[in-house]
Formats: sequence, C-alpha cells, structure tokens
Amino acid sequence: MSLSFEEFLLVLRIASIAVLYLFILQVVLVARRDLAVATVQSATQAARSVIGHLVVVDSGSAPLAPGTTLDIVSPTTLGRAPINTIVLESNLVSMEHARIYFRSNSLWVEDLGSKNGTFLNDQQLAPQKAVAVRPRDILRLGDVRFRIVP
Amino acid sequence: MQQTMRNAFDLRRYRWSELFLLIMPSLFILLGMLQLQLIAQNSTGKGPTAININNLPAIDVLAPQLLLIVALLATHVALSWLVPNADRTLLPIAGMLSSMGVLMATRLGPDLPSPEPRLGFKQLIWVLIGFGFCIATVFATRSIRWLRLYKYTWAVGGIILVAITLIHARNVNFDSPTHDQLNLGPAGLAFQPSELLKICLVIFYAAYLAENREILALEGRKVGPFYIPPLKHMGPLIGMLLVALVLFVGLRELGLALLIFGIFVSMIYLASGRLAYVFYSLGGFAVGAFIAYNLFSYVRDRVAIVSTAFQPDVADNKGYQIVQGLIALGSGGVLGQGFGLGHPTFVPAVQTDYVAAAIGEEFGLAGLFAILGIFMLLVYRSFRIAVRARDTFEQLLAGGIGSVFAIQTLVILAGNLKLMPLTGIPLPFITYGGSSVIANFIMIGLLLRLSTPAEGDQVA
Repeated sequence: MSLSFEEFLLVLRIASIAVLYLFILQVVLVARRDLAVATVQSATQAARSVIGHLVVVDSGSAPLAPGTTLDIVSPTTLGRAPINTIVLESNLVSMEHARIYFRSNSLWVEDLGSKNGTFLNDQQLAPQKAVAVRPRDILRLGDVRFRIVP
Repeated sequence: MQQTMRNAFDLRRYRWSELFLLIMPSLFILLGMLQLQLIAQNSTGKGPTAININNLPAIDVLAPQLLLIVALLATHVALSWLVPNADRTLLPIAGMLSSMGVLMATRLGPDLPSPEPRLGFKQLIWVLIGFGFCIATVFATRSIRWLRLYKYTWAVGGIILVAITLIHARNVNFDSPTHDQLNLGPAGLAFQPSELLKICLVIFYAAYLAENREILALEGRKVGPFYIPPLKHMGPLIGMLLVALVLFVGLRELGLALLIFGIFVSMIYLASGRLAYVFYSLGGFAVGAFIAYNLFSYVRDRVAIVSTAFQPDVADNKGYQIVQGLIALGSGGVLGQGFGLGHPTFVPAVQTDYVAAAIGEEFGLAGLFAILGIFMLLVYRSFRIAVRARDTFEQLLAGGIGSVFAIQTLVILAGNLKLMPLTGIPLPFITYGGSSVIANFIMIGLLLRLSTPAEGDQVA
C-alpha cells in the first residue's frame, strides 16, 4: 500500500491529535477507577464518620475522668496545643504528639516526634512511622492511657 | 527497605496503570519526530513522493528524542521502587506535556530568526534533569514535616534569591526578555530564582495557614455586615505577599506578581473557607493595580496594547507580537497546519511567551483543547490529592500546587488570546526554559509524595 506524501502527513497529523485525546481518555479511565474505590470507602465511612473511640484508662495529670469516651474521626490529632482534635493538657504530652487516621480499611497511629513518646501496648512507636492498630489496643501518650474501641 | 523492595517486585502491586498511561506520550513523541523527519527530507528534495512501509525514515535518526521515552520509563521504575502507592497519573501527564515541549523546541529552534538548531536537545536535557529533581524530591521528603518546620527559612531564602536578581538586574536592559535571570558562572548557566520562590511561598503559606487556620476561620469581629479579619495573625502572610509583589513589580514581572497574588488568595480561601478574604484581596488588588497603572509606564503600555492591538500604528509596533500570535492561531483552524508545516516563527519570542500560539497553528483548535484538557486533569489530580491528604498542611500544600498550575496556565493563555494584558509567564512543562521545567518537576515530586501513605505504613 502506498500513500502520497501529503496524504501520509494528513494521517500523521490526525494521528497525533488522536493520541492526545486517547491519552485524556486513558487518564480519565484510570481516575474513574480510583474514584469508584474511593466512593466505596467513603460510603462505609459516611455511615459513621466517627471511626472509633478512645476510652480513657488512666488520665495521668490531664483533666479527664477515667472512663470518658472520646470519638476518633479521620484524621484525629492528639496533643497539648489547642488546635488538636483531642487536647490533652498534661505536661508530659507534646504540643503535637500523635495522630490517628483511617487508610486501607484500618486505623493507623503515628507518633509526631513527641518528647515523651507514644506507646502502643507498651511498645514505643518510632517517630513518623504509622502503625496499624486493632480494637482493645492500649495507647499511651506521656502519662495518659487510652483503650481503643470500635 | 526490604519492605519497599518486596513491594516493587510484587507484580500485583506494581504500577501497571502508570506504565499503561506512558504508551501515549511515547507514541506522541514518535509520531512527532517522524513528521519532522519527513518534512526535513522533503524540503531538501531527497524525500519520497509516495510513502510505503519500506521508505520510512530509519528509527536511529530520531535517537535523541528516544532518550525521553527511556527517561520516562526509568522514572517510572524509580517511582515504583520509592513510592509504589503514589498517584499513577501524574508522571504520564507531566511526561505528555513535556514531550509536547521538547517536540515544539525541536521544531521551532532551527526556524527562529536567530536559528538555534540545538534548542530541542537543550530542552530535552532540561526535562531529563527535571526527572532527576522529581525523584530527588520524592526521596528527600520521605518525612514531609521538615518542609513545614523550616517555613520561614523557605520564604526568606526565596525572597533573598529574587532580591539578588533585582540588584543584578539594575545594570541590564529591561527590554531583554531574560533580565530576570541570574547568570551563574562563565558557562552562561542562567536560572530564574522566581521559579523557586513560587515553590517556597506555597510551602510557607501552607505551613503558616495550617497552624493558624482556626484563627483565620473563626476569629475576627463583625462590624455591621462587614467581617473584620484578625489582622494581627495575618501579618506574616501579608508581609511575604507584599515583599514578593514589590520585587516582581521592580523586576517588571507582572505575570509572576499576579501568580503570587493568585496563590495567596486561593490558599487563604482554601484554609479559611471565608469569601470575605477573597473580596478584601480583590479590593486590595484593585488598589494595587491602580497605583501600578499610574506609577509605571510599562504597565500602561501592556494594558493599552490589549485594546488597541489592531490599530495600524500599534499592530506594526508594540502590538506586533499579539497580532502575529492571533494570526498564527487563526491560520491553524480546527485541525491545524500539521506539525512542522506552519509558520509560527513569525511570532516574536514564540518559543517562550507564545508556545500556545505555535501549538494552535500546527495542531489546531483540537490540539490546543487537548492540551488544555491535560492541564485540567493535572489540576484535578492535585486537588484530589489535597482532599485525601492526612493533615491540614499536606492538604494546603497539594491545593496550593494545584492552584499554581491552574493560575499559570490561565494567565499565559489569556495573555496569548488577547483577553488580558500579556505577561511573560511560562506555560507549565511546555514553554522552553530550564528553571521552569525543573520547578514544575519539583512540584510533581511533592504531589507524588503527598499522595503516598506515610513511609512506615505497614500492617503491624
């Protein structure tokens, strides 16, 4: 099969533009699949935007009564600074101490480089390394201890 | 580290969709180079008059541009290893746009009034360095908190860089398009600090607003129907904004001043959700624009050109560039003249300020719309990453980067279409120029990092 020079250039021109649109189509398809996954996730989240609770086991020097139940939303930050979701007014808790968030069907807790450390079941967490938590785990920030319940 | 190694070679979790998306950019490069090669052969009289499968140019003449495909694949592998869960569409989008940039530079270089046959190769090298910066950014921000902790360092550092340029620029000609570059060393290695300042300011705003968003959103008094923002807490924000604006107006870079202002407005709105800030900013913009208009003749010139470009004495003179740009766009029609077949080099500075007109002439309205669509996808992905980010700082950073891409595209395209005064601001990834390409790839690197779960994410 043989094409004249001009015809071939026309084919190339249309092909170049078609490639641009095919690319857009591909990206939209990939993005849509992400969106579908996200919708399933957010639907399960929307059913209860509160994704868990913290029960105070030992309030240390923070003004909290043991047995108090606090809600966990995603993300929840814990610390002494007033901008945190859960404010813990204890001298052993850092301004930005730890955070809890929801990812891939699990709750994750991450120490934010606190001075006195975050402990999960008495194991100290390395700073900035998120670790998945399970119900009934014990979370300790400074001198405050929580039990994680669904 | 072992964990990441395992992730990279776990085929179920491999970034297949990214590899799949890289097919089209590669195909686009090959098609473009084939077209250029055929036209070059034909204009020397050696080309075939009829084409069949046997007399197509050999693949080795396209060699330099093939490097771009190789680099895209290499970056893809590096990302699979470093951030296996990061967003899959960002690299292909950046790759597609920079292929367009490299092809355009290759095509425009030899035809410029002062020919630069190696323009395309230079742009290619910049893009390769950009990929390197992208990977380095992803690697350096494994813990993104240090960006936030040194927020004032970024802002002050960026401003000092630009201030040095301003002092340097006082003894150069303001009419030259490169007066805002800082020349480093004898090799003529020029770079534009303003591109870096852009990133520094986004990081600074994101960090400052993340700490103070409650105050900006909730505090402040109401006097009658008017909301009075807590000005005390906005001091650093407004201070940085004013310094940057003064620098850019001093450098006669109105586009960058507009961009910095746009970042300020979008980020303060993203953080506080209060329209009052937008209205006050627009008021401040009107006052600033009025002062600049009366103070500087070059501002008056730019505005006057928009309304009078087609008057005979202006069209041959100050309005020449705008008029030629519109003619180039018009002669492209819907499907364009064909890559390499138009005459975009009639437009002065087409490789930097008017690359959109060159695309419009050779790929037509259809091609220009496609490029706009790809920019929209880029902005969409940035805001999507912002929505899913883990904390306020990351949210604002991703949203701010998305705004940068959006505002830059809007300002330069509106300028090229004579909808607003033309300002020399790069079209992200496509405009010829090293610092701009590198800065854009650093922002892509940040977005990739922001779209990944924290480094230590593993099921305990």
